[in-house]
Amino acid sequence: MDNQTFIQQKFLEFYEESASKIEGPSSIRQREFGFMIFKENMMVRHKSFDTVDALRTFIKENAPAHAYHSTAYYETPEVKMEDKGWLGADLYFDIDADHIATKCKEIHDSWTCKDCGFAGKGQPDICPACGSKRFDQRIWPCDICLNSAKKETIKLVEMLMEEFGFSSSEVTVSFSGHRGYHVHVTNEAVRELDAGARKEIVDYITGTGLNASFFSSAVGAFRLSSKTSVSALDDVGWRGRMVRGAYDFLSSATIQNLMDLGIKEKRANEIILNKQAILNNWKREGPWRPMRMMGKEELRVILDRVIEVQSAKIDTMVTTDIHRLIRLPNSLHGKTGWLKVCFPVSHIDSFDPLKSAVAFKKGTVTIYVEESPKFRLGDEWFGEYEGQKVELPMAAAIFLLCKDVARLVG
Amino acid sequence: MALTRIELAKYPFVLDAAEEVKRLDLDISNLENPNLKTIVDRAINRIEEALATDPPRVSFRPGDEDKEIPSFPVAIILASATNNDYIKRRYALAEAVRAYDLLQFEDEKRIVEIVKVFNWKIRIHKQPVGNRRYGFALFFTHFLRNAEVFHEDEWKLVNRTMVNGEVFLNKREVARLIQEEVRRRIEKRFSVNVRQMLPEAILQRVDNLSKKYADRIDQSRYTAFPKEVINEAFPPCIQIFYGSAKTGTHISHLGRFTLTSFLININMKSEDIVNLFRASADFNERMTRYQVEHISGDRGSRTKYKSPTCETLKTHALCPGPDELCRTIRSPLRYYAKKTRMLKR
Repeated sequence: MDNQTFIQQKFLEFYEESASKIEGPSSIRQREFGFMIFKENMMVRHKSFDTVDALRTFIKENAPAHAYHSTAYYETPEVKMEDKGWLGADLYFDIDADHIATKCKEIHDSWTCKDCGFAGKGQPDICPACGSKRFDQRIWPCDICLNSAKKETIKLVEMLMEEFGFSSSEVTVSFSGHRGYHVHVTNEAVRELDAGARKEIVDYITGTGLNASFFSSAVGAFRLSSKTSVSALDDVGWRGRMVRGAYDFLSSATIQNLMDLGIKEKRANEIILNKQAILNNWKREGPWRPMRMMGKEELRVILDRVIEVQSAKIDTMVTTDIHRLIRLPNSLHGKTGWLKVCFPVSHIDSFDPLKSAVAFKKGTVTIYVEESPKFRLGDEWFGEYEGQKVELPMAAAIFLLCKDVARLVG
Repeated sequence: MALTRIELAKYPFVLDAAEEVKRLDLDISNLENPNLKTIVDRAINRIEEALATDPPRVSFRPGDEDKEIPSFPVAIILASATNNDYIKRRYALAEAVRAYDLLQFEDEKRIVEIVKVFNWKIRIHKQPVGNRRYGFALFFTHFLRNAEVFHEDEWKLVNRTMVNGEVFLNKREVARLIQEEVRRRIEKRFSVNVRQMLPEAILQRVDNLSKKYADRIDQSRYTAFPKEVINEAFPPCIQIFYGSAKTGTHISHLGRFTLTSFLININMKSEDIVNLFRASADFNERMTRYQVEHISGDRGSRTKYKSPTCETLKTHALCPGPDELCRTIRSPLRYYAKKTRMLKR
């Protein structure tokens, strides 16, 4: 039996039991659904369902490799795009470890050039052997990558709740089923926001266009007397975020850290020597004005770094796209065999995707693994494997088969 | 705390147009009525003030509320009747600026009362917010909707203080947003077929007004692009995308779309655009041709797509950094328009 057929069969078995756990999106009649069916390699789009039961039945019968629904609401979702009648869309964010630089990718990600067969590790830009840009990539969701995505998600959720004012009942966080997290905001007020307004929201979250000079001058207000007891560290919004970020950065900064930003050694030395004085000043007044030990350029590169660290690395295209299709919660992800799982915001710190997203919990299967790094699923560790036959629990086996690094035996 | 008569004269846009007309017994077909002469005079005068002043502004005449209040809806009707976009837009702006100037002198409570008609979620907030004082808190979606037209950095959401879904603003800023809302609302009230309902004498006066200011033709902001493509006039972003396409280097989806829509808008032939992408390793002639035709509006939804703006490219990290000319424009097409003119000289 070939991989695809086996995986599809397992998906079918899973959905036979668990399709009932699929909750459709709200206003299901107004949503477009899309499915990727095994072996067909083409998206089936413009589907709609009257009830969640109809959706569950479809999934049970077809066991799609990937299942999606639109963030948008349409009058008639089943017709072609220009006639659907867009009524609004939820606010959606996608954080993918693919877009976050982690050193471990050099260890567990690998690629092969489609044109010349040259292979390497990490994430390629251009093939060093032939200059091609077409690659077969093997990306691996490890704990470090997943945690980096989680960190970004936490930053995003904090902004959404404290600054945008969304409540925990309006914000749904989920693990994508592969290497990232999704944040879904359902709120009447944001539904009709156009692409321009969503772009402004994206810019807020990524700190794009942030002009720190506004934070120091009296634009929009006049400063209270400096005798006020409010420390700059307790300020709100991006201002507060930047004060705290700058304070934290400088507190733990070494001369090398400053030089890495492009600051000359002599200046970096001076800054570190006067660190406490600078920090005290920042605590009172914020890091907005250059001073004797901290020139304009030096301040600028530090603040740019702070923005980079404090902003959330979301996929900008996903949020601005008002016709986006997003993965259906509690459905299986065809590249891993894991589930897209939702969880309450309050659980984000303790959430462990490698435990909670496991779908196949019964049985074992023997497979031949070409190559696989060490990986964890649940509480067990597996691998590394290289050209060997192993008997693995179903979830681990299906994971390797979906990743196309193994094949069935016997 | 309804508005006083003086306030209605200052801010006539708060009155619902249809109600007003009913209440004042204004019959548009009967505007010749001698009883209405002073109102019509003031209405014409309002439009004329908008055209004659720079920056455009309609005056406020205290003490004559009976004339002032109805002259506003009549002026809107007469401005519509000019059928001239320049006059209509200028008049709407002049009334909006008038509101802005008058609002500066109002107390916060009156401003919230005046703004009720817009259905904004706005409230007074005088306590300090993290060391600063503002005056108002406006729900962020209403802020976004109104601030969208402003391109200055200070109106970007990221540069504002926002807590719990509310953006904090001072009086001047709220007045600026109100100005924009007023302008938009007046423009919405211009109707197309009003000429046929007006009596001849009134039409005469309207046409005389148009003639008097006929030389102020609105210079279209879009001069036609030259017929041939001038590569030297490409903005930095397009240069990079163009170079990548020619060498077959990978371009992101948005980059490809920006390049394609740009080239279509500057009159490059579809065939040449398709050939540009030929060097790409995953070039598919049928798909590329389809995409080019789709963006030009030759098939599918039949929309001719405009090229993305600089703001959009910056949001998606595709702007390579502005050059001198970039700082004076807001989209790659505008850059090209300016640069081609500069090169001609």
